[in-house]
Amino acid sequence: MGTERDERARRFDRLARAHGADLYRFALWLCGREALARDLVQETFLRAWKALEALRDDGAARSWLITILRREYARTFERKVPTLVDIDAVTVPETAEPGPDRRADRDLLRESIARLPQRYREPLLLQVVIGLSCAEIARELDISQSAVMTRLFRAREKLKTALQRDGITGNIDGSF
Amino acid sequence: MRAARRAGPEFEAAAAAAERFEALLRDAVEVPVPDSLVADLAVLRPSGSRRWWPAALAAGLLLAVGAATVIGQLRPGWDSVEDYVIDHYRHDGPEMLARQVTTDTAQARALLAAFDLDAAPALIDIIDVIKVCPTPDGRGVHMVLNTASGPLTVIYMPRTTVTDRARLAFDDLDAMLVELPVGSAAVVGHEVENYYALVHDSLRPLAGGS
Repeated sequence: MGTERDERARRFDRLARAHGADLYRFALWLCGREALARDLVQETFLRAWKALEALRDDGAARSWLITILRREYARTFERKVPTLVDIDAVTVPETAEPGPDRRADRDLLRESIARLPQRYREPLLLQVVIGLSCAEIARELDISQSAVMTRLFRAREKLKTALQRDGITGNIDGSF
Repeated sequence: MRAARRAGPEFEAAAAAAERFEALLRDAVEVPVPDSLVADLAVLRPSGSRRWWPAALAAGLLLAVGAATVIGQLRPGWDSVEDYVIDHYRHDGPEMLARQVTTDTAQARALLAAFDLDAAPALIDIIDVIKVCPTPDGRGVHMVLNTASGPLTVIYMPRTTVTDRARLAFDDLDAMLVELPVGSAAVVGHEVENYYALVHDSLRPLAGGS
């Protein structure tokens, strides 16, 4: 019994190490507040601990955890969290800052991502942050793969438009 | 991308631009993660015979653990319970006071039960928000009560012994330590002396708990 419990704990710790950071990033983009993102991740892993036996294959853990997190967000926070408008209130200071031009691009892009409608932002984050495939995103959002691809395309187009509109360095020739 | 490059210079330029954009996008979404995040997740695993969370945990139950790592160690810098109270309140207190998500009675009771603790209606009915938090001796509970004197913070420390009614003051706030039948509590706010009886008499061991 002790060995089983220890193995279960080790398995949980592996999942936390492997996926905790990306889940936090996704949660932060989803709910817009650091403290709530941490709460959301905590709640996700609490439920994951409780239902760990339901996860047959650790290779599917990422999708499994995201499903739990999104359900928790919808159930717990979706009606209560104000729309994110200030990305500075979300991101914490970074220790290794890029150069000023790169930082300007990155910061503007972060603001633009935060302002994307959720139907575009969420599939984009599932792809770029979590690394889900179009098929996995389609299953997660319960939409068709073609709808996923359309939304991903439109999300990127909106972001590129925002970058072009603001004349961001490195894009003065409109090459995006 | 490689195929695009082979198709000609204009396609190569487009492929390069797309790669630049994707690199920028990956950089933009890669927001920093708190150092203690993964360590805090490990604390969520129950140990030994501790009662596990009731299944009815729901909206408004906040389970965030404070930034301090609490894997069975006293955080460096806490030379006393008073130090801990001040440090913990400065770190978590204002954030908890500002939270808009409130807890209902059932959820608060469920969280306290996980610590083998019960609370009388006089206290549990005025809990605004509640969460798990680090204490000098492991996990505890951080509550914000809605009182006539304004918000009152109560930090329950299941395994910490205090000098009953000891007082301290910091940052224009008062605090008082309360010895309980099991563990102790720190009460932080204003006119804390008026709430000694409430905290002392309301927080009690859960009947039939371990």
